[in-house]
Formats: sequence, C-alpha cells, structure tokens
Amino acid sequence: MNHIKSLSPISSAGRSRAEINFALCRRVIATCITLISLAGSLSVAAADISVMVVDREGHGVGEVVVTAMPAAAGAGSSLIPKAAVMDQRNRAFVPGVLVVRVGASVEFPNNDWVSHEVYSFSPTKHFQLPLYKGEPHAPITFDRAGLVVLGCNIHDTMVGYVYVTDAPYFGKTEGEGALQLKGLPAGDYRITVWSPFIADAPASLTRTVHVDGNEPATMRVQLSLALRARPEPRPRRRDWDY
Amino acid sequence: MSWVHRLVVCSLALWMIDAAAQDRLSVNGDVDLRWVHATGETSYLNGGLGDLRFDPDHEGIQLGRAFLAPNFRVTDIVSLHAVFDAYGDHGRNPVDVSEFYLDVRPFPTTAVRWRVRVGAFFMPVSLENRGIGWTDVYAITPSAVNTWIGEEFRTIGAEFEARWLGASSGYLGDVALVAAAYGWNDPAGTLLAERGFALTDRPSTLFGGLGRPPIDFYHEIDRKPGYYGGLSWRHHDRLEVRALRYDNRGDPGSTTAAGVYAWRTRFSSLGARLEPSAHWTFIAQYLDGNTAVGADSSGYDQFYMNFHADFALASFEWAQERLTARYDDFHTHQLSGFFGPPSNDDGHSWTFAWSHDCGDHWQVVAEWIRLNSSFPPRLTLGESPVQVESQLQIAVRYRFHLGW
Repeated sequence: MNHIKSLSPISSAGRSRAEINFALCRRVIATCITLISLAGSLSVAAADISVMVVDREGHGVGEVVVTAMPAAAGAGSSLIPKAAVMDQRNRAFVPGVLVVRVGASVEFPNNDWVSHEVYSFSPTKHFQLPLYKGEPHAPITFDRAGLVVLGCNIHDTMVGYVYVTDAPYFGKTEGEGALQLKGLPAGDYRITVWSPFIADAPASLTRTVHVDGNEPATMRVQLSLALRARPEPRPRRRDWDY
Repeated sequence: MSWVHRLVVCSLALWMIDAAAQDRLSVNGDVDLRWVHATGETSYLNGGLGDLRFDPDHEGIQLGRAFLAPNFRVTDIVSLHAVFDAYGDHGRNPVDVSEFYLDVRPFPTTAVRWRVRVGAFFMPVSLENRGIGWTDVYAITPSAVNTWIGEEFRTIGAEFEARWLGASSGYLGDVALVAAAYGWNDPAGTLLAERGFALTDRPSTLFGGLGRPPIDFYHEIDRKPGYYGGLSWRHHDRLEVRALRYDNRGDPGSTTAAGVYAWRTRFSSLGARLEPSAHWTFIAQYLDGNTAVGADSSGYDQFYMNFHADFALASFEWAQERLTARYDDFHTHQLSGFFGPPSNDDGHSWTFAWSHDCGDHWQVVAEWIRLNSSFPPRLTLGESPVQVESQLQIAVRYRFHLGW
C-alpha cells in the first residue's frame, strides 16, 4: 500500500492550479489501483466447499443439513437471514427438513385440503399455529439456534424439522448426497452435518475444513451406522384414522 | 311439521351456514350404490340366521350406505364430530346417528399429549375401519371381529388418551394409553349369542336397532358403568399395534320392564397393522372373550358363552388400484343355559376385493366373500346348521368434501 503513503495532504494554499490538478489526478489513479488490487485479492480469497454425505454402503444421502461456521469471530455475520416457507401438503410438511439462519422468519401456509394445527414444544421455539383454510398467519421468527421439531395436533403422523443455525453458510444435500456451499471467504470452517435419519454420534459429524481461496475445498462424510428408517409417503387418500 | 320443528330446522340450517361461512364447519359425505348377487341363507338382517348382509331375496341394486359426517370446530382444541347414516334397510329410522362426540385435544406443551372424547363413538379396536364414517378402506366388508365391534358396541361416555410423542426425542413413533368409562351398552353380546359372528358392513346406529326384529344395543339397565383400557404403539408410521381390554360390567341378572337383559361381556383384543412399503399393508387381529346373561351366576341356568375370532389381511395398493385378500376364522362356544340347540358357531371365510379410484370423488369396488359356518340354532328355522354363503358386490361410491 505504498501508493497510499505517497499521497501528500493538500496543505499549501499557495499551490498553482496546475499543481492541484496534478495532485487530483494522482489521487484518482491511486484510488483506482487500490480498488483493483482489493477486488483482485477478494476474488482470490473466496472459494467453495463441496460436501458429500454417503451412507455405510457409499450411497449418497439426500436432505442432509450442512452448516459451515467460520472459525474467525464475526465472519459472515453481516449476511441477512432469508425468509423461508414450510408448507403442508398431503398431510406432510414440505420440506420435511428446513434449515434457516437465526432470525429468519418462516411462513406456514396450508395448501392441504384439511386443516392442520402445527405446534412445537422444542426448547428452541415454542409455538402453536392453527392453520385453517382462508386464515393466513403471520410468519414465525426463529430467534435461537437449535432444532425445532414440528408436529400437527390433528395428524400425529406428521413430523417436520426446522434446523435453526448460527452459521452464515448452510444448505441441504441433493438426492445424490452432494452439496456445494459457494463463495466462502478464506479461513477455517467448522462443518456440521445433521439429519433426523442419521444415527451416527453428532461428534463424528463435525469437522474443520480450511478454505485457502485458491481451489474448492472438499469434504466427504461416510456414515458408520445405518440410517434410521425413513417412512415412505403413502397417499392416504381416505384415511381418517379411528 | 309443527312450527317448533320448523324453527329448530331453520335455526340449525342458519347456524350451519354461519359456521360454514366462518370455515368452522366441514362436511364429508358418501353415497354408495351396489349391485349384489348372493347365495345361501336369509341374512339375519332380514330375519334369518345367515351371516352376510345380503341374501338371494335381497340382491340386485341396493343402497350400500349414504352418510354425512360434519365436523364443527368449536375452538382450536375442541371439535364436534357426527356421522348421520342411511342404509335403506329395515332400520327404525331412515336416517340415524352412528357417532356424535366432542373431541378435546389441547396442544402439547411436553412430549405427552392428552385427548378426551365425550359422546358416542367407536372404541379403538379396528385396524381396518380407518376411513371417514368408520368405513373399511381395504374392502367393502370388514372382518368378523370388526363387524361385531360395529354392530354391538359404541362407547357412550368419555375416553381419555395420553400419548407420548416420540418425535421430540428422536423416535419416529408414539405410544398411547387409552381408558374409557361408559354406560348404555348393557345389551352388548345379545347378537353374538343369537346369531354368532357375521361379516357385514352394516354397523348399528344409536337409535335404529339392528336385525329383524330389531335389537337395541344402547340401553343402560344395571346402572353400572363399563370400562375399557388399551395400549397402542406406532412405530415409524409403518407398524401400529393395539391391545384393548373391554368389560361392560353388566349385571347378568338385571332386566328392564320390557324384558331387555343386561349382558356381562368381556373381551381382550390384540391387533397389528404393518405397512412395510408404500404399496403393501398387512393386518392381523385377534379377539377373545365371553358373555353371560341370566341371574344364576352359579352356573347351570345362566347362559354363558366363550368366543374368539381372528383374521389376517394382505392388501396391495398401486396408482389408483387396491387389491385385498382376507381370511377370517371365528368361533363361539356355549357352556351353560341351554334352551335349545347350543350357540356354537364355527366358521371361516375368504374375502377378495378390488377397488379403483376414478379421480377424487368416484370409486368402484368389487368384493366377493365365501363364508362357511356351522351354527346349530339354524335347526329351529328348519335349516341345516352347516351353510355355505357367498356374496358378490360391485359398489359405486361418490364422496365429497365441503369446507376446510
């Protein structure tokens, strides 16, 4: 940053107009150089993390939450939490697992042909939301990190999850088990993997990954325990369940 | 119709329109018309001792059932359910009520959620009758076990359920304890003694009686409440197990002035429903108990009968189709109180059903039942105790849903 040091304050009132113009030109050029070099250094420092989650047999596991928490305090904290939607269709939560940033508001529309009464008594967030046709509710704001297990007071088979995270970078794996977190600044990240169907101990699902900014970092998680049974959705067109 | 009746009907209609406008009322309805071909003995519904709903004198085009099931949301945690039925047979009332109850379900604030039902409703035994209006979703006709539950039993009282919700602990399933106290079910057992087990989709209604002459099951005779207690376990939305102990605590010596007796009926029920994939369902249920009537509890003159019944069902569902096969086995054995041929019913049956959904509203179901049974009281009608009955039904159903 020598070019900044070379700038001298305009202190002399007796300078000629030509001198002042020359000094202004130098300052503009120096500022341009600074911006270009800063932009260059930023483009080098941001990189992606590719995460792959596979089961014991090596098959990809979808719908797994992956969060990346920077080791450096405050990094990424300026990112604004995005609003999200947890829908209800065919007597199921859609998506089954939702991941949001602390502070995010989540809407709960009811696009089913029956009413639902969504609740959570998880310590992270208590709420009760009767969802009837034509009665939209204000979104729920999730202001603490942690897991929120959702249920429906009318349909006990409905279970959903909202995973509320402090981490600025997160996502869910696709059906083949892969996820790419994009544009992470260089540094160390604590990567955590979670799914309600993963039986492995949480400690074995957290790792530190270094992003050096030159090439994408990769992380592969192979589960050592079998996945918990994931109920297959059934049409249940006429069930009332006495 | 008197002006009082008109006022009541108009008020009810206005109230329902108002409730519907506020999205507090929803109504499910179903009309089921059938073509029937039956062989064998006259059905007990028509005065015989046959075990099926229809018989050779009652076949062709028949009304299977028409029902309306309104559901009124009183508050967020209290709802009122009712089922109004028409069967088009010899019931005393052309339209009658089969269920009417308040369902109170507070939102859970811990992993245990409680629920109370108060009114008249079916006890939680059947794993087949899971459709709106207690319809069988696997075939037209439920098993012998669940036919009998629908015919002679209705909980007229209060039921309390405490359910542990496993999802918050990472377990996809729940466990529920259920207990109920009820009255007005003292005649339960009458039909089983008079006819044995049967396979029909004609449950009793609260005020209409069943059979010819009609038997009324909903009387309180001895002023002693009955109870049932049960346990259910749901695992991963794939397996459901239910166990229940029922005892109406009837005093077998009690009778009304009109000669209607209280029966002491007790049974234990155990059942499981397994849904290992999106296509397959397997159900098995077992029921075992006894019933007694008559004052002399020391033995000889008192009518005393043991019974047990079971079935196994397999059902395969794909796209709009469902195929079901079921085998039923049922027995009653009279031990004392003989006034004629013993009420010893020994039977078994095969049921095969195919259903096809045509969109959201229409459904076509075909079902064939073959039932073999031996029941000595048929001798009193001049018939052989051993009968082979069969019934082919093709049902066309239209269902609708109004409101939320």
